Amino acid sequence: MCGGLLLNASHPAHAQDLIAHPSTGVDSLSRNEARLLFTMRVKQWPDGTPVKVFVLPDNDALHGRFVSGLLELYPYQLRRVWDRQLFSGTGQAPVTVANEHEMMERVASNPGAIGYVSGPFDPTSVRILEVR
Amino acid sequence: MRHALQCLVLLTSLTSASAQALDVLDGRLQLHGFASQAVVDSSANQFFGNSQATSFDFTEIGLNTSYRIAPSVLAAAQVLVRRAGEMSDGTPSLDYGLLDLTAISNARQRLGLRLGRIKNPFGLYNETRDVPFTRPGIFLPQVIYYDKVRNLLLSYDGVMLYGDLFGESGNLSLNLGAGRSVVDENVEWAYFGADYDGDLEAQGINWGIGSLWFSTPADELKLGLSAILTEMTYDAGATSPLDSGTIDVFDWVASFQYNAADWTLSAEYARTPTRWNDLGPYFPFDDQVMEGYYLQGAYRLRPDLELMARYEEGFANRDSRDGWAFSALTGGITPRFDFFSKIWTLGLRWDIDPHVMFRLEYQRHDGTYALSIRENPDPNALVREWDVFAASLSVRF
Repeated sequence: MCGGLLLNASHPAHAQDLIAHPSTGVDSLSRNEARLLFTMRVKQWPDGTPVKVFVLPDNDALHGRFVSGLLELYPYQLRRVWDRQLFSGTGQAPVTVANEHEMMERVASNPGAIGYVSGPFDPTSVRILEVR
Repeated sequence: MRHALQCLVLLTSLTSASAQALDVLDGRLQLHGFASQAVVDSSANQFFGNSQATSFDFTEIGLNTSYRIAPSVLAAAQVLVRRAGEMSDGTPSLDYGLLDLTAISNARQRLGLRLGRIKNPFGLYNETRDVPFTRPGIFLPQVIYYDKVRNLLLSYDGVMLYGDLFGESGNLSLNLGAGRSVVDENVEWAYFGADYDGDLEAQGINWGIGSLWFSTPADELKLGLSAILTEMTYDAGATSPLDSGTIDVFDWVASFQYNAADWTLSAEYARTPTRWNDLGPYFPFDDQVMEGYYLQGAYRLRPDLELMARYEEGFANRDSRDGWAFSALTGGITPRFDFFSKIWTLGLRWDIDPHVMFRLEYQRHDGTYALSIRENPDPNALVREWDVFAASLSVRF
């Protein structure tokens, strides 16, 4: 199977989609659960797999749309929560990736990974999570 | 100064070279840091160095690492280098160093324990007070987050139990801790007005902290109540004019914050009942209640450009806010305006990119209570009404 078949999409392109590694045994999240994962306060999936959060830079347009659209937070609030944790030793920050292409690769190859994309993608390499 | 600038240049080049390269093992091992240099100019008095002649003595450099040993175990430590006029000379210190164990963690609740040197979750800003990116301005509201006695609030060595409840209508967090405080010379200066012969120290478990926070699910509204109880012991030296005794401090703050898309409104009210015991006939004070509060608004013109305005008032003795009572206790040597501060602040924050921030700030002070006695030892030289102009450049990775 070729991971490069990103354009062979069977999934309609949304403004932004929450994606996870295919082995994640979850199909949907409540908005609160999604917030707890992205604020790094819940660190394990229900089956015990460690959560690995991937995000785009703070000033990336897709990051802004994802945070306000799906998490219903403001990007500055998310940054504040991460900074509070990572500069007080009470938690860590998510891994920042350079672009959507890297986001796809990292989420597809890391069990427990979660992230977001805007464009069409190969539905066999990652799983879409619906936000309720 | 030159040393600080070299570090800043080095860190700037490091951060712009590769900000993402420092997450190893898919983020389980992380290395982060920051560096900041400020320039401070004041019309009178000494504020973060010789500010009347323009001071460069406000430098902050921090480097931290954290390793998630297992999903429920995190080890983390930060080293801080801080120069702040006469108050802090840049000797590297362990800012925090702790082991965080999470016993329960799911989408409804979290319960855990921290062991080691722990930052105090006191008020909105204390936990990360030395990280310029997390502060509302170049200077924190000095009537609550006193830089003249920062160690009174900063951190402690001990244990902390923390619990969170996550719900549809909001999140509730409780922290309870106990241990030993970190007393330094600034604490002695602030409480005695001098560095007398003898030691002011923490004995045994002399520190307790509790904080309770409520926030709505999307963090629009945040409400908090934090308190610290501490006892310091003064062991008088042979030439000290004071007798051996103790100082009891109870510090509490109520916090409010509202976050909207373009603006954030914050307000805090703090009170600090303090008691000096058995220090002898030459020590003029026996008890006092310090008080401080502020209202602060931040408006984001663009995501990378923020304006801030704040008004704060602080009093050494809330029973005599105009300062007459304490001034009389010193026989009039210390002017009454040294016992209050009323400060207007205007600030501008520009996030040039996610790793570089530039700030400008103006403050108008009425009173000198916010100043460090260590930096301003001569009460006759104090000027009641004074201005501060400051700028800072900060980098992070």
